Amino acid sequence: MSGSWLATQGRLPLAFMGLGLAWLVAATALLVMQPSLLSLPHTHPQVVALTHAWVLGFFVTVACGAVYQLAPVALGTTLANERLGWWHFGLHAVGVPGMVYSFWHWDLVLLGHFGFAVALGLVLFSANTWRTVRLSGRRGTVAWSLALAAGWLLTTVLLGLVLAANRFWYFIPINPVALLRAHAHLGLVGFFITLLQGVGFQLIPMFTLGEVRDWRLANVGLGLAQGGLLGLAPALVWSLAPLAFVCTMLIVSGLICSGVGLARSLATRKKRTLDPGTRSFLRGGMGVGAGAVAGALLVAPGSPWGSAPGGFDAMVYAILALAGGLLPCIAGMMCKIVPFLTWMRAYGPRVGRGPTPAANALTHPRLERWGLGLQHLAVAPLLVGAWTLNEAWLRAGTWVLAAGVLLFVADMLGVLRHLWLTPAATAGATQARKIL
Amino acid sequence: MNEAPDTAAVWAALRSIPDPEFGVNIVDLGLIYSVECNDGDIAVTMTLTTPNCPSGGWIYEGTKEALTRLPGAKKVEVAMVFEPPWNPAMLSEEANRQLGRIE
Repeated sequence: MSGSWLATQGRLPLAFMGLGLAWLVAATALLVMQPSLLSLPHTHPQVVALTHAWVLGFFVTVACGAVYQLAPVALGTTLANERLGWWHFGLHAVGVPGMVYSFWHWDLVLLGHFGFAVALGLVLFSANTWRTVRLSGRRGTVAWSLALAAGWLLTTVLLGLVLAANRFWYFIPINPVALLRAHAHLGLVGFFITLLQGVGFQLIPMFTLGEVRDWRLANVGLGLAQGGLLGLAPALVWSLAPLAFVCTMLIVSGLICSGVGLARSLATRKKRTLDPGTRSFLRGGMGVGAGAVAGALLVAPGSPWGSAPGGFDAMVYAILALAGGLLPCIAGMMCKIVPFLTWMRAYGPRVGRGPTPAANALTHPRLERWGLGLQHLAVAPLLVGAWTLNEAWLRAGTWVLAAGVLLFVADMLGVLRHLWLTPAATAGATQARKIL
Repeated sequence: MNEAPDTAAVWAALRSIPDPEFGVNIVDLGLIYSVECNDGDIAVTMTLTTPNCPSGGWIYEGTKEALTRLPGAKKVEVAMVFEPPWNPAMLSEEANRQLGRIE
């Protein structure tokens, strides 16, 4: 293993993590400025802009960075093409802000241009992920989840482009809200849940010194969720309530299987105390499960399927799934990945030459705990506010969320500071520049 | 001229290298399978907790570096093996304590 290759390791995922942090701040600021957005119908242009700031800006950016880091680790190989990864980064960094701006001002022409840039970036991401999986020769649950998640993400964005074009030219005679629902679930279930159902079985044993003794539950969980999604997307497009309910229950069953499998893996762990990042990741997994159950109730036979705000509606479901599920998962993942990548670049070259800290020693435990805790605490007032259409609750929720995000970002910046403070990081960067 | 390092010095040098994820040194983590010293020539056989360990590269390079820096060290060979695979029974009592498995 050459020192030169090691010196360049982690730059691409770290760049995505940094961009993700910037989006976390921007998306939270948007919510703090206008908490009443959460009391509007989910089809409102500014709500769509806010959703894309959170989902495409924060969640997808961090998840792509995590895939660039984890796919080679999980598959025992190197990334097929890092240069393509940098092209993806550039297109994503330019395209997503443009998309959010276009949604906010409802400029469909501009949206098409920026959406195309994002889609092109995701074509590169998917091709890179598939090639990495193919070159690794691995075909297990983790490999399948990475390949499938990349495919679903690309499908989601392409359907999003079709959706925007259809609002402009109306060439598909289907209710745009139905298409929007399918688009959202392809992303939520197809990309995030698929990814978590695979990556969870890699991360949890790795961070807790545990093992997966039986992969059957992981395989069945992934299979059931995939089967459910394949039926759910058309059921949502053509508003087939019974099919949508059955498919959602398949996804819930898949999540239960994966959850039981992960719990069994956790039971084998040698590291007894779970760190805040791992706890947050697991708590997010439970939130995703709760979100899936809420989704099943929304499409249960007899439910109104409406877009009107208030009561148990799409907004409550989205807050539960995104703020209660994905946010702790992704933030928890960052608490593990960012210190580790920073350690690799800042302290890796110093191993054997002098004392080096452990990766988790780079974080500020109190900031980390409070940051994640407040983010979690914010879910309840946000849910109450969206359910009752009460702006005071929404405002309280967004402020608690903002406090949590502030502490979390301060902790992450404190970790990233080591990249510039340690001489090894500078030496590593110089070495990397020589090679490039 | 420095005296050739003995196995005790080599083990001590290896104990200075921590695993970044768990903060436990690689000896207590059970990653070192064997150490041989012969008139300044050092041969170490080691493993990783998993073959895909993302910090494995730096641990390997750091191990070689730490041994090369030992006074009197001549030829340093570090072999990375995955047979037998690492398992938790290889953790020392100190590592178990640090990981919270025993009080």
